[in-house]
Amino acid sequence: MSNRIGVYVCHCGTNIHPKVNSPEVAGFSEDLQNVVVGRDYKFMCSDPGQDMIIRDIQELGLDRVVVASCSPRLHEKTFQNACLRAGLNPFLFQMTCIREHCSWVTEDSEEATCKAKHLVAAAVNRVNYHDELYSRMEKVHPDVLVVGAGIAGIQAALDIAKAGHKVHLVEKAPSIGGHMAQFDKTFPTLDCAACISTPKMVAVAQEPNINLMTWAEVEQVSGFVGNYQAVIKQKPRYVDMVKCTGCGLCLEKCPTKVPSEFEEGMGLRRAIYRNSPQSVPNKPVIDATVCRTLNGKKCGVCEKFCPSGAIDYEQQEQTLTVDIGTIVLATGFDTMDPTPMKQYGFGRFDNVLTGLQFERLNNAVGPTGGKIVKKDGTPPDSVAVIHCVGSRDKNHHEYCSRVCCMYALKYDHLIKDKVGHHVKVYNFYIDLRCFGKGYEEFLTRVQEEGVTFIRGRPAEITDKARTPEEEGKLVVVSEDTLLGQTVRVPVDMAILCTAMEPRPDAPEVARRFGISQGLDKFFLEEHPKLGPVSTATDGVFLAGTCQGPKDIPDAVSHASGAAAQALALAARGEVAISPTTSWINPDICIGCKACIGLCAYSAIEFDDRLRVSVVNEAMCKGCGSCAAHCPSGAAQVKHFTEKAIFTELAGMLAPVPEAPITVEDHAESPMAEAGPQESVPPAAETEETATAS
Amino acid sequence: MASTAQIEVRDGNIVAAVQDFLGKLLADQEIAGIFTPRQLEAKGTVMPALITSADKLATADPLAPSFPLNSARQVAQLTRGDLDGGLVAVMRPCEIRAFVELIKLNQGSLHNLVLVGVDCYGAYDNQGYRRVMENNGDSLGLEGSNSFIKKAAAGEIGAGNGVPGLARACLACEHPVSPVADLTIGLMGADLGSQIFIEASTPKGEGLLSRLELKDAAPGDARDKAIEALVAKRKAYRDAMFEETAEATATPEKLADYLAGCINCYNCRVACPVCYCRECVFVTDVFSHEPWQYMGWARKKGALRMPTDTMLYHLTRLAHMSTACIGCGQCSNACPNDIPVMELFRLGAHRTQEAFEYEAGRSPEEAPPLSVFQEKEFSEVTGGLD
Amino acid sequence: MSEFEPTIVAFVCNWCTYTAADLAGTARMVQSPNVRLIRMMCTGMVDPKYVIKALLSGADAVLVSGCHPGDCHYINGNYKARRRIKLLTEILTGFGFDERRLKLTWVGASEGNEFAETVNKMVEDIKELGPGEATAIEVM
Repeated sequence: MSNRIGVYVCHCGTNIHPKVNSPEVAGFSEDLQNVVVGRDYKFMCSDPGQDMIIRDIQELGLDRVVVASCSPRLHEKTFQNACLRAGLNPFLFQMTCIREHCSWVTEDSEEATCKAKHLVAAAVNRVNYHDELYSRMEKVHPDVLVVGAGIAGIQAALDIAKAGHKVHLVEKAPSIGGHMAQFDKTFPTLDCAACISTPKMVAVAQEPNINLMTWAEVEQVSGFVGNYQAVIKQKPRYVDMVKCTGCGLCLEKCPTKVPSEFEEGMGLRRAIYRNSPQSVPNKPVIDATVCRTLNGKKCGVCEKFCPSGAIDYEQQEQTLTVDIGTIVLATGFDTMDPTPMKQYGFGRFDNVLTGLQFERLNNAVGPTGGKIVKKDGTPPDSVAVIHCVGSRDKNHHEYCSRVCCMYALKYDHLIKDKVGHHVKVYNFYIDLRCFGKGYEEFLTRVQEEGVTFIRGRPAEITDKARTPEEEGKLVVVSEDTLLGQTVRVPVDMAILCTAMEPRPDAPEVARRFGISQGLDKFFLEEHPKLGPVSTATDGVFLAGTCQGPKDIPDAVSHASGAAAQALALAARGEVAISPTTSWINPDICIGCKACIGLCAYSAIEFDDRLRVSVVNEAMCKGCGSCAAHCPSGAAQVKHFTEKAIFTELAGMLAPVPEAPITVEDHAESPMAEAGPQESVPPAAETEETATAS
Repeated sequence: MASTAQIEVRDGNIVAAVQDFLGKLLADQEIAGIFTPRQLEAKGTVMPALITSADKLATADPLAPSFPLNSARQVAQLTRGDLDGGLVAVMRPCEIRAFVELIKLNQGSLHNLVLVGVDCYGAYDNQGYRRVMENNGDSLGLEGSNSFIKKAAAGEIGAGNGVPGLARACLACEHPVSPVADLTIGLMGADLGSQIFIEASTPKGEGLLSRLELKDAAPGDARDKAIEALVAKRKAYRDAMFEETAEATATPEKLADYLAGCINCYNCRVACPVCYCRECVFVTDVFSHEPWQYMGWARKKGALRMPTDTMLYHLTRLAHMSTACIGCGQCSNACPNDIPVMELFRLGAHRTQEAFEYEAGRSPEEAPPLSVFQEKEFSEVTGGLD
Repeated sequence: MSEFEPTIVAFVCNWCTYTAADLAGTARMVQSPNVRLIRMMCTGMVDPKYVIKALLSGADAVLVSGCHPGDCHYINGNYKARRRIKLLTEILTGFGFDERRLKLTWVGASEGNEFAETVNKMVEDIKELGPGEATAIEVM
């Protein structure tokens, strides 16, 4: 018996129709083989649109449905669910995209309509060969892996742990807190970073549901949503975490001193070190690259002085495997190294600092004990704060780093506040972006404090004086675009507000977790608006700045969002796994094993008794490597069978009638006269179209 | 260094010398059976047999100029599991090379198997063999094989000598000696009036040869020179054939003409030793179309050649198996409409194997090109981007 | 006769190029209407016979487009695809198909502009090249 196919062509308000003549396409579809009804409608994804499909399935006995509308990445699930509600297996449905791939990108209306017909013909052809498929339910392991313990990772881990789920929190550094632990004050409220982050850090350490692993890295991830396994490498700390009391005696006695990363190179640390006494954990780690003992030299001082015998030079790297259901990535950002921007003289001039260096300068436990001073120890009389260093710059990062304007204003205030009102502070900015809650008010406050704002990107910072006032100073040379003239501003100190950028190992991490990077190289979210925390890989979520520059409140909200997504899966306890896996027909397979060698997931086993290859559906991801190779077609991916692809192709290449067929011929949409409903687009659609245009 | 022994040829009966050697092999305690072509009574047909009894070796004839079947798949069948005893398979180089490809595809194995290659002067195709038979009163027999080998060694086989020429696949074959065989029955460079060589090229072959206690031989460079000369001749023939075939199939239109007689019988892939699928995808329902689909395709151009999918079949077969093609020519042998499919396939195979720096049948260790990949390779495919 | 309008079939990976095509659409990057997409889960799923079939049944060119090396959603499907395209190129060009009629590109999920450019460039190239060599014959 022939199939009974219904075709539904969406107008998407005015997004598809009239560029693509939707009624004409619907009419065309009715002439296609096995098509029982072809309808067009203003918003197919709206309730009345879905109801129309459901009613047709029930009343006309449709056994196949094709929807031509937006990208299936947006609404495939919507329509599959509609089919399901009507009692039709959701895999007997095919969606074809006539908006993103057609109406939005084609200039000529006739051409767009013609292309839409081809796409519809292909979808109709294909759907004939769809099989009923049933999603497999898999248990979701209740534990969650959170990677990175900066403020975003901490927030996500705490949220999840508080909900009663176990969290494995893995941090690459010896202690948690990330960049926020380096900050002094936070904008716009000026509360101290430590005061608000330390309690959270301590909470992490004390939370029984959190298994905190610092000085550790995730080496390998395998499995699938709900059932991941992560191999975690615990680097040797050379300090016994159980015996160590964190007294800090070793830190005073260690004879080896090297520049401190935490102090941004402005202070020294020992070979055995921790970032600060407030560090969590507050137990130190030995830097094996510089420790004398570990490099075969005579020393052993820390071991000698340690009152609890916690030093263990023999400690080895360990790996452990954890089972988790979901993963939250909170791997953070780095700030750009401004050394290559030679015009600003970073590294060449003592008093050109990065933002993070200035944070440390400000910090009460920083290298100067919180005093804002020049390299020579004296306070500056004038400071230049240069915005957008490496941001909004085609040569470096095209994007805006989103936080620099605000922390620059914070610096303005702190300088005035700490060094004195007499200090001249000059901001070199392009635009001031103070969009957050209380941000604009903070700008007003700083402006009232007598800070100078010069609109322009400085060309250089030089020590070559032209006038007596410039002698011994750093001269910031810039165009003042508001005055339309070049200015030379002599200052004692310059702060570069460097861009936030992805971690250098982001490509590697992306691969490890099976996610993508965007053009800016930050991790790519599933949808820029509607899926900002999920990724293309089910069960892997993004938190904080690894997805893009964010300030603290945004990072924290993002992290809570990721935690909620992970919890949604963990709390439900089961997840539907797509049935579109590969299947090897044992009657056709001749057991050449080529597919086994090609499978990236070791999902194919060999049955020695039957001499055929067998797909393990739990491990198969449906990539089709086996199917595309198998010459006999024994291996095929469900829903992407050779028959389906061949007929789709045939439909796509079939000629379509050139003369427009009369629109009156095709089935009237039963909703056509239901006036008021048409003007109510579904919420998601409004958002999408509004922001996309 | 390969060691070489010799078998004496008495009364000019080379086949008898080969049978003598096979008898010695079968007598070895580790050998339970010998797989070898043999002469059948019926119409002088030559077919392989699995021989376990020494008296049945009297009709064994690996030298017959008849080649109705590439036996690689039969040997694969015999070696894909426990055979209950050691097996000697006497095969032409192209059969061994096909078998090597099948090993890679998990269809056969070298376990418990001694591969005995025979120096190959080529054979007639089925039609040619029938004509030769007719010229000889329907009987060639073992004597026919003796005379064929002698003539072939003297370069007297060919269209110019009043007898049908050898199969084109053989004339274009640059592998008259197998590189993989454990033992080789060496005819080339031997004084066939008095001896043939038995060459061992693997430890397995050496071990067996030493147990047979044959007389040592020193083929000198006569053998190498004879092989070299033959290969040179065949390569020249092959290249001319490639050129001719390339010209005849230079456009899809010409290719369609070339394949015009194809009736989708798929004999070529049934006969192909490396087309190993249990069921060809072209006979599955993937290619059984709905009636309305045919009408749609016909409407596109006003006419549709029936049967359909012939070009697709041959091009797909090239995609599937050209990297494994060893050029035995059985496809042409099997074609009911005399389409020169061997020429087409060998040309395609030559191109694809060269592209992947691969040679079918060269070594069981060499992975089929499409079963492996590297992270950095073939960047020309994507315009130099990787 | 009006200008030759080629038909190009594109087998694209769901995770990268298909997404890039969505992005190009959202950004209203105008593209020639000649390219029609077939969504695959991975370029590693593209069976060589799909490409042959397309070229024999009316497509003037075929585009296969997947994730950049190293970025494959399925670890290494794109590398397998590259070998298959290499094989196809060898076979098809031997029988007179112009090599420009089979193109493999890497277009990442965020590269909407790259996708639009690829499409427009390919259409331009194929327009210049003329109808597919096999499109006129009745055999398929």
